[in-house]
Amino acid sequence: MNSIERILATLTGEPVDRRTVAPVLSLYGARLTSCPLQTYYSDPAAYARGQAAVLMTFQPDVLFGPFDFPGVGAAFGSELHWMPEYAPNIRRPGIATLADWDKFVLPDPETHPRLLYLREAIQRMAEEHRGQVAIAACMMPPIDLPAMIMGMDTWMETVLFDRDGANRVMEKLIPFFVKLTNGLFAAGATFIAMPCGFTSPAIVTREITQNFGRPILDRALAQLRGPVLVHHIGAPMLAHLDLLTGLPNVAGFVMDERDDLAQSRQIVGPGPVLFNGPMSPRLPGLTADQVAQECRTMLENRRNDTRFALCTGGPDVPWHTPPENIHALRKTAVDFRGNAA
Amino acid sequence: MNIQESLLEAIRQADRAGASALLDRWAAKHGTERMLTDVLDPMLSRIGDEWNTSGTFTLAQAYVAAKVAEDTMARLATQNKDVPVITGTKGPVVIGNIEDDFHALGRKMVGTFLRTDGWIVHDLGNDVLAATFVDKALEVGARVIGVSAMMLTTARNIRRLRDEIDRRGLTGHLQLAVGGAVFKVCPGLDKEVGADGTSGNALSAAGLFTELWQNSKKVKVIP
Repeated sequence: MNSIERILATLTGEPVDRRTVAPVLSLYGARLTSCPLQTYYSDPAAYARGQAAVLMTFQPDVLFGPFDFPGVGAAFGSELHWMPEYAPNIRRPGIATLADWDKFVLPDPETHPRLLYLREAIQRMAEEHRGQVAIAACMMPPIDLPAMIMGMDTWMETVLFDRDGANRVMEKLIPFFVKLTNGLFAAGATFIAMPCGFTSPAIVTREITQNFGRPILDRALAQLRGPVLVHHIGAPMLAHLDLLTGLPNVAGFVMDERDDLAQSRQIVGPGPVLFNGPMSPRLPGLTADQVAQECRTMLENRRNDTRFALCTGGPDVPWHTPPENIHALRKTAVDFRGNAA
Repeated sequence: MNIQESLLEAIRQADRAGASALLDRWAAKHGTERMLTDVLDPMLSRIGDEWNTSGTFTLAQAYVAAKVAEDTMARLATQNKDVPVITGTKGPVVIGNIEDDFHALGRKMVGTFLRTDGWIVHDLGNDVLAATFVDKALEVGARVIGVSAMMLTTARNIRRLRDEIDRRGLTGHLQLAVGGAVFKVCPGLDKEVGADGTSGNALSAAGLFTELWQNSKKVKVIP
């Protein structure tokens, strides 16, 4: 079974030879190819070279497209801040106030260079590795994109105190999100990894998730032409998992290491795949043995769960993570003989 | 339900308007002079406790709490023009996001809660260099610098601030508080970057600053 067969079987509940393993190594490709990050996050060929190096070095079952949400913000005029060992951040949001949205002309995913970069990176990866390895595109849902465009505090203020205004923004962003994301599927993405902040119990209340986040996700995800993994954004997700269950096209959930996976399984039912793994920011501080031990414990806990896959949690695996820790994560999944089949 | 319970419930529901109406009613009955000490401070203290212990408090609710605190301070400033609302009894402190970090929301909330607690807050904003923090602290006579970072990469830049404090012979005299999402995920990171203390959330920062200020006073340093 190769990687793409393995992950597709995991998504559909078919027997697999071993557990899927999916460390998020978007950034790490730049380290492996010694590529300056401004090039890596602007040039699809450079990004694809980095991911080819990731595949050759670690043989994960999933390669990730650019984990670069500020880049989407940049297409809306946000100013980027570049760092030598991390993806760019937003220095200054592109849209200052809610009123600015009304006259704002949204960028076209099919022509804007920053958005084309995302699609072309996926396309190159898919062409190079078609039929061998799954390609995950990373994209924020419409409810979270405004944080990259108008800043987290302005968007929080809008969602909390001007729900009509927030919904007006969504009316503009849902078609944009659908076009951009379907373009990623058309380019060859196997699935979309989608960090959801404005449904997270660390960020918003149940009321906001229920009455704002969920209805938007229902509408937006129903229009997608491929499967979605809802990602925990680096904080526990269990407390709102019931509100996220049954979303259209959602094939699985990337849970936080602090979430109880038995309870999670009870809530989502037998269908969706649950992903879980050590939080990425901790990886540089662990030894390879510690990584292996943590992963073994997680795999053991989900021994009888045929729809469980090992990944890394939270953001991208940090630049300074020793390669042996990533090897240890993969090796533990490969060596584990659970009831995956 | 008393005013604190009612306010707490409004904030749990992220209901800023409801909280404001509650404060209006309380002020109409009791006046505004004791609003800070009798209503706001105890309520924020309870939220801090709940945030620390239950793990169920959300960023949105904390944001509403900060807005309610700001609203209250603004109301007091308007209605008691002759009485200084921000007493500054606890002294000057400096806060900011470390070099390369632009995640301002948490820092702004910390600033609000510190002001409510009586600190004179000098907020340097995002992407602040180590030397700028120390220069400002010396200029205003601060004994505590509060630094925010959201990601592992930027949190590691705090080490430069630790080194700058030590290099200028201000170890202990100038206390270093750190906070941000990554410190919750990575236990021990605060020590790794050389912090004198950290708090799990924005509301606990006031308690931490008080403790660090006291620690600073035990150290005799001639800069």
